[in-house]
Order: sequence, then C-alpha cells, then structure tokens
Amino acid sequence: MSQPAALRESAQRASDDGRGPDLLAQLQDLTCNLRTALDRFRLDSRLTRLAEKEVPDARERLQHVLKLTEQAAHRTLDLVEQSCPPADRTAKEAAALAEPWSRFRAGTITVSDYCDLVNRVDKFLLATRTDSEKVRANLNEVLLAQDYQDLTGQIIRGVMTLVSEVEVVLVDLAHLAGTTGGNNGPTAEELARGTGPVVPGVEQGAAVVNGQADIDALLSDLGM
Amino acid sequence: MSKDMKFLVVDDYSTMRRIVKNLLHDLGYANVTEADDGKTALPLLQNGSFDFLITDWNMPGMPGLDLLKAVRSNDKLKKLPVLMLTAEAKREQIVEAAQAGVSGYVIKPFTAVTLKEKIDKILGAQAA
Repeated sequence: MSQPAALRESAQRASDDGRGPDLLAQLQDLTCNLRTALDRFRLDSRLTRLAEKEVPDARERLQHVLKLTEQAAHRTLDLVEQSCPPADRTAKEAAALAEPWSRFRAGTITVSDYCDLVNRVDKFLLATRTDSEKVRANLNEVLLAQDYQDLTGQIIRGVMTLVSEVEVVLVDLAHLAGTTGGNNGPTAEELARGTGPVVPGVEQGAAVVNGQADIDALLSDLGM
Repeated sequence: MSKDMKFLVVDDYSTMRRIVKNLLHDLGYANVTEADDGKTALPLLQNGSFDFLITDWNMPGMPGLDLLKAVRSNDKLKKLPVLMLTAEAKREQIVEAAQAGVSGYVIKPFTAVTLKEKIDKILGAQAA
C-alpha cells in the first residue's frame, strides 16, 4: 500500500473510532501542501538550472547565430560588389563594339576602323575571359557563403528545444500559482518602438497589412 | 531631380544599409551616408544638407518613428522627404507613421522596383 493511501486509511479508522473527526481533513490538507511544496521544489530546481546555465548558453548561441548570419551576408555583399565592375565592363565594351561590328558586317567599315575593331575585339575577348572567370569564382564563393544555414539551423533547433522546456516549466508555474493568462496584444508603447516582422502562424495581436499593395491602399485611403 | 542628391540611410543592420546603398547606387544616387539609429542620424541631419532620408522603424536607441517626429518638428528639416523602410506591418503603425508625416512606406522584404517607385513618387510629388 502506498504511503498516502496508508495515511488515509489510518485517518479513516481514527475518524470511524470517533478519535478526532477533523484528523482526516487535516491529513488531506497536509498531503496536499506537501505535494505542492514538492512540486515547487522540483520546479525550482528546473528553473534554477534553466536560469543559471541553459538560458545564458542559449543567449550566447543566438549571439553566435547573429554573428554567422551577419558575416555570411557581408561576405555575399562583398562578392556581389566585386562582381559588378567586371560584369559592367563586359556589357559596356560589348555595347561599344556593336556599332563598328555592324558596319563590318554590312561591309561599310574603313580599313583603319577595321584594324581598330580587330584590336578591340582581341582585347575584349581576353578581358571578357578574365572577367567572366572572376565572376564565376565569386559566384562559387557566394554559394559557399550560404553554408552558415546548416550551422545556424542546428543551433536554432537546439534553442527551440530549450524554449519548449522553459514553456513547460512556466505553464507548470502558472498552474501552481493558479493564474490564467491572455494575449492582450502589443501596447501603444511597444508599437511605437516597433515589434518586428510578421511571422506566419504567430498571432500579432493587431491587424496587419498583407504586403506592399495593402500599404499603398491604406496610405491612399489616408490621402497620401 | 538631381542624381547628386544626398541620401541618409538609417538602419541598425549594416547588411541592410549596404543593400539599400547598393540599390541607390544602381539608381544613380552615389551620395549616400549611413547611420545605425535615430540618435546617430539626427545630428547628421542637423549638421549636413541631406535631401532624402530612408529609415528603418525598429532600432535600438531612437526608433524610426521618433526620428520622423523629430525631423518634422525641426524647422530646418521639416520638409525633408522621409521614406520608412521597415518590417513593421500593423495597420495602426502605418496610420501613425502617416499622421507623423512620413512621405512613403515600404515594407520589408522589398524589391528594387518598389524602392525605386516610392523614391520617384516622393521626388515627383516634391517637384510638383
């Protein structure tokens, strides 16, 4: 027989014998308080571990995610910026060659212009090859710069597991405290500071626009 | 409108500032200065002769809405075109920005075409 059941039985016997009619009720109160205290203790230990170790660790991990994503974005932007001049150069020279080339094709080009054209095409072919190789190499680097997603994805998943655990503890605490919550939506002050992007599936607590067309329509209604 | 116009781009994320700066360069606007929130932007605006302000909303220090209000309440700056470029999508916020005197509102993520359209529209209205 379990201890609480044995206690209940002893109390029942005491009550039946007429020895202390309140004993059963008192013991029930005591058991209930003991259980609450034990629950609190268990929650306290879990909370302490979460607060002292795992939440600070998660903050560091997310900081690292921020760093990795920022580095990858800057690396990609660097490579795009480095790729623009060779791409522009190729387009510009190809456009410049189009006119003498069409004269050559029509057979109306002068000998001196023809010699000039041949020299320019020679240079263009060489430069285009070098520039294209540069752009191709940069595109490969852009590809590699996306490897952050694998690492950050793993870290974020770990933090999501922790958030789920914190959620369980907080819900238990709310039950113990006997409170029920409600989502009241952002306050005016929060809205003024900004609440960040809309996340699909997450309740915003206020009416949101659906894309640029909605904003344009809203501003138009406001006379803008 | 002259391509020598001075732009100030305010965003707490340096990558977003670079993206906007690159897009502005593509549109022919080469004179672009950056700031990372309203607090650093405001003295730049007061001391420089900027022609156009593009600002994020949600930033530490001074958010974009406060920067917009500060600009509109400053005699020297009150007519400065201000384009809000932000992820804030609540109708209430957009109405508040409009009431505070924003010149245009672009929601993130955005396209180069949208940015160009809004800048052109603001400059067209200003020239009219």
